[in-house]
Amino acid sequence: MATLNLKGITKIYPHSGEQKKAKKGQPEKKTNLQVTDEGVIAVQKFSLDIADNEFIVLVGPSGCGKSTTLRMVAGLEEISGGELYIDGKRVNDVEPKNRDIAMVFQSYALYPHMTVYENMAFPLKLRKMDRDEIDRRVREAAETLDITQYLDRKPKALSGGQRQRVAIGRAIVREPKVLLMDEPLSNLDAKLRNQMRAEIIKLRQKIHTTFMYVTHDQTEAMTLGDRIVIMKDGYIQQIGTPQEVFDHPANIFVAGFIGMPQMNFFNARLTAEGGKYFVSVGGCKVELSAEKSKNLAARKVQSQDITLGVRPSHMVLAKEAGNTLSATVEVSEMMGSEVHFHANADGKDVVIIVPTMDSNGVHIDSFHPGDKLNLTFSSNVCHMFGQNGENLEF
Amino acid sequence: MDNKKSSARTILAHVVLIILAFLCLFFFYILIINATRSHAQLQLGFSALPGSSLIDNFKSVINDPAIPILKGIQNSLLVSGCCAAIVTYFSALTAYGIYAYDFKLKRAAFTFIMAILVMPTQVTALGFLRLITGMGLDDSLLPLIIPSIASPAVFYFMHSYMQSSLPKELIEAARIDGSREFGTFNRIVLPIMKPAIAVQAIFTFVGSWNNYFIPALVITSKHKQTLPIMIATLRGADYMNFDMGKIYMMITIAIVPIIIIYLLLSKFIVEGVTLGGVKE
Repeated sequence: MATLNLKGITKIYPHSGEQKKAKKGQPEKKTNLQVTDEGVIAVQKFSLDIADNEFIVLVGPSGCGKSTTLRMVAGLEEISGGELYIDGKRVNDVEPKNRDIAMVFQSYALYPHMTVYENMAFPLKLRKMDRDEIDRRVREAAETLDITQYLDRKPKALSGGQRQRVAIGRAIVREPKVLLMDEPLSNLDAKLRNQMRAEIIKLRQKIHTTFMYVTHDQTEAMTLGDRIVIMKDGYIQQIGTPQEVFDHPANIFVAGFIGMPQMNFFNARLTAEGGKYFVSVGGCKVELSAEKSKNLAARKVQSQDITLGVRPSHMVLAKEAGNTLSATVEVSEMMGSEVHFHANADGKDVVIIVPTMDSNGVHIDSFHPGDKLNLTFSSNVCHMFGQNGENLEF
Repeated sequence: MDNKKSSARTILAHVVLIILAFLCLFFFYILIINATRSHAQLQLGFSALPGSSLIDNFKSVINDPAIPILKGIQNSLLVSGCCAAIVTYFSALTAYGIYAYDFKLKRAAFTFIMAILVMPTQVTALGFLRLITGMGLDDSLLPLIIPSIASPAVFYFMHSYMQSSLPKELIEAARIDGSREFGTFNRIVLPIMKPAIAVQAIFTFVGSWNNYFIPALVITSKHKQTLPIMIATLRGADYMNFDMGKIYMMITIAIVPIIIIYLLLSKFIVEGVTLGGVKE
């Protein structure tokens, strides 16, 4: 266990001859990463202080630099700029094997010619640990991960979930200061993934170490992380606890990325009238709650065009048309305890989640494609984003 | 209708395969049959039935002081074995260097090695001979072994095999686990390369075993001769006055080690050791 401090970590991939050539013929870019004379900037000034024993999750769409950041911490990628400290010691130029970190790969990366036992004992043997101690640690880790019965098998005789346990076992036998995980569950099927996620939560309670976990799956990020770091195009978008990033997304990207189904966005108008704030969208004008008005007033927010964000579960169905937004149901998805309606409101696609029953077990009237809906939203749980995409409240 | 068609196809396929197998194996059959016949019997012409002179022929080959065949086998085994060992190890090492590391001129190095591939041995033979004479290595087995360290063809095979079967994550995992670079190669990469090494070891062994050109240029003394040179010396003798049974026996003896080596290593070719280590 250890603290981990990243100070302005930057990664630049220098141009190779081919990339330059390719640019002439093909002007289109695959990513939005910033390209300078020096090269492509994959990670931009990444700063984060990770406390001892903390579980940090890096999340973002593919190509956002999360894996690159993790690999720089591991020492597998050179750090182009900034400083990395493990337990207060600068480790920028320290080899991976001397950083006292362990890593779990998406592809498991088990040594195919060794048995499970040998795989797990390998890092300890390299550290010239005595045989009894190796045996004790391997068996203890195998016990923790429930793979004792497979110790004599080769990796090819194991299922995906078992292999990933062995990979985790190989990482924890060393009792590393920092445990790095690069999308460890991405190769598993949905059911196994849920199961392994729970296993990782349990594992975390058993071993005391600092975790850094990379995923593109927001469910994993929300359930595992003490804090989540959301990244896009090499930049950190927001750092916060799962609740914080869900309740107070810093910008439109975070708001859209976290939460399933995605948050609904509307073009709206924010008006300030006599110390009160109103949001109008379509034919619907809602006065914001006192708390939100206070936040906006504190930042001296003026009347302006905004993007309004409302989560599908926070949309409210009004019985009658009036101060409402009208929408037409296009698709309804029955999920069991709730129905997701995909509707068209003012040319925008909107998703509304409606429970199928009320608390007394009485079925709520359903809607069918083509039905008209009258929508409104609660003034407590809407999010306002300015023209630059930043949240206006914070 | 379909059934008839497919059974006709099967029969045709079998007929073709039987003819091919016959063509391949028939010469071995003749060789072995002829090795069992005496010179006099051989003079009478072809016979498909074995003769009775197997042991006589064998004895006359082994006991001939003019052809030290046991020494020849020993020399050939030494040269071919060493060649197979060093060519596979060093080619794998070179391929690993090009595959696993990023450095400037990596592509240039790869292209350069590939360029050597198109250079025939005969072109460089004269220079090679002058070089080893200058080094005082003529009439020695070393010049037959050491140059095999650099083999572009084996390098290319190893490199392709690594691209398909050696995920870089394994190397990275070993690095994080605390393995040194050379240790990673010996402990992780070599065992995974086993099937490729077995294949190339067989090819190199056979190639070196049958190699006549370079040994004929380098070796002069009798007790350093390899088998192909000895067989060639026999052929050079007046075959009317020579014991043909003895020649056939000698050729038979010469191919036995190759068959044994092939049988020993062939199971590694089939065995895919990397299967299951990394999910594709």
